[in-house]
Amino acid sequence: MKVNRINLPARLFSTLLLFIWTVCCVYPLIFSLFDSLKDNQQFYSGNAWDLPKLPLLWSNFSYTWTNYNFGYYFLNTIIVTVGSMLLALLLTATTAYVLARFTFRGSGLLYYLYLASLTIPTLMLIVPMFFLFSDLRVNNSYGGIILLYSITTMPIGMFILLGFFKSLPRELEEAAIMDGASLYGVFFKIMLPLAMPGLITISIINVLSFWNEYQYALVLLSDAYKYTLPIGLAFMQGEMQYRIEFGPLFAGLMISTIPILLIYIIFQRRINEGIVAGAIK
Amino acid sequence: MTSQRKRGLFIASFILPTFVIYCIFTLYPIIRALYISLFEWSGASDNMNYIGFNNFRDMFADPIIYKAMVNDYFLIFWKVFGILIAALFFAVALTRFGMRGTGFYRAVFFFPNVLSIVVIAVLWRFIYNPSYGFLNGILSFILGRPVDIPWLGDSTYSIWALLPPAIWAGIGFYMLLLIAAIKSIPASLYESAEIDGARQWKQFTHITLPLIWEQVKVSVVLIVITSLNGSFAIVSVMTEGGPDNATQVLGYYLYQMGFKQYHMGYASAIGVLILVLSLVTTFVLQRLMKKEVIEIS
Repeated sequence: MKVNRINLPARLFSTLLLFIWTVCCVYPLIFSLFDSLKDNQQFYSGNAWDLPKLPLLWSNFSYTWTNYNFGYYFLNTIIVTVGSMLLALLLTATTAYVLARFTFRGSGLLYYLYLASLTIPTLMLIVPMFFLFSDLRVNNSYGGIILLYSITTMPIGMFILLGFFKSLPRELEEAAIMDGASLYGVFFKIMLPLAMPGLITISIINVLSFWNEYQYALVLLSDAYKYTLPIGLAFMQGEMQYRIEFGPLFAGLMISTIPILLIYIIFQRRINEGIVAGAIK
Repeated sequence: MTSQRKRGLFIASFILPTFVIYCIFTLYPIIRALYISLFEWSGASDNMNYIGFNNFRDMFADPIIYKAMVNDYFLIFWKVFGILIAALFFAVALTRFGMRGTGFYRAVFFFPNVLSIVVIAVLWRFIYNPSYGFLNGILSFILGRPVDIPWLGDSTYSIWALLPPAIWAGIGFYMLLLIAAIKSIPASLYESAEIDGARQWKQFTHITLPLIWEQVKVSVVLIVITSLNGSFAIVSVMTEGGPDNATQVLGYYLYQMGFKQYHMGYASAIGVLILVLSLVTTFVLQRLMKKEVIEIS
């Protein structure tokens, strides 16, 4: 893209603003890391922005991991996130493929039904969901949460993947059918591999939202050993009114953040693509 | 088996599992939410009293509902304002100003969007902490005297204090969305504007803004929907609606009514109100922001 003239003061001003916002985005993470290595004394006597004193209290992390059960939360979050990601892939890709390639009675209706559900404020569903989970006896079970999570992101994922499948040439499928491949064979052996970039994109977006999910987990998980990281961290924050342990609290914050931040940094480009695909309707 | 039947079976086997799960975990809960809103119900299964629209009548007489609505729209207004101006500026700066390191900025500005809303809330609670927090620390440093304002505990400031975290956490996503829109504008338009001597500001108002108006509209609608739905989480961790309902929002009030005070019917009625507000606001905004769509050939 051709780039324009922009005068020096405007350039300096813009650079300054970009710099300030970079600091605003990065510095809170850095001071969280610093503060996770302090003891209470350093919070009482020093400033929030002071560097942690030596020796660094890495023990805050192991303390949070065992005493605040973050070991459980971490494992639960991984199980729920990975399970939901895989199931969401299956539910989303199959529907997207059929809607992209076949017309049948009700196919248009189904498409608009899924699309319309994007406008529902999901908060109104926490009450019925709570009772649905007790009716199905899946409170505090990974299975229930995984089913729920994978279907909540299905409509937007379906929308992104649908575009992907539509952009793939039909000739490949036709040739494979000629060669005697079944419809299932065409989907699993030809279409899925070709749609891999799209599958990765929706998976990354899904992983971000599953890892951080709060409102359903809050009402559906009551057993403290089944908490996911966001619920565990919120619970720990609540505990701070009885005993102040800022260092371990920040350690908990770091444990909740570092894995997902790494995933973001590694797959950053894919996420950008996904946003573009999902939002430019 | 005929190929017609094979095709039908294939379609059914691909569509139905998803559709069944969708019916159980999305459609049915929506219907049940509407249904529960017509009852007085503590959540215990035996005493469910049908009371028609009384929950909604009660809502209109409930001053906290009004307070929560005002707070919700206060947050929406300033979020739309704050997020859009910043996201627009950064999007234009990173595409049209010929800056260096745009990939870096794009990646870094999205960091807050990657964080869980709980992480954001815990972080900002600490920033606002009256005794050890960042904000008072900096103010004390600048003013040279101890400052200990309880930002979240004083109803004068508390609702304002919810804005910075919400805006901070929102900018990255909308910036990416607008960058994508700007990048899809044909370069030739800018080139001929350049030849005509149009400067940056004029290019922005005459080319960029009209051509990305669709995405600006989408952004506003998304901010409204996510704010009505998502303020719940930040309020729940930062203030629990307090002090004295000063930061109460509909979402948190729903949660409080349902899961702390066990008025499941009333909670569901608040849910229906959120749905209606979200649809009406979206519709009104779509109307207000309607503009001639400019087709690029």
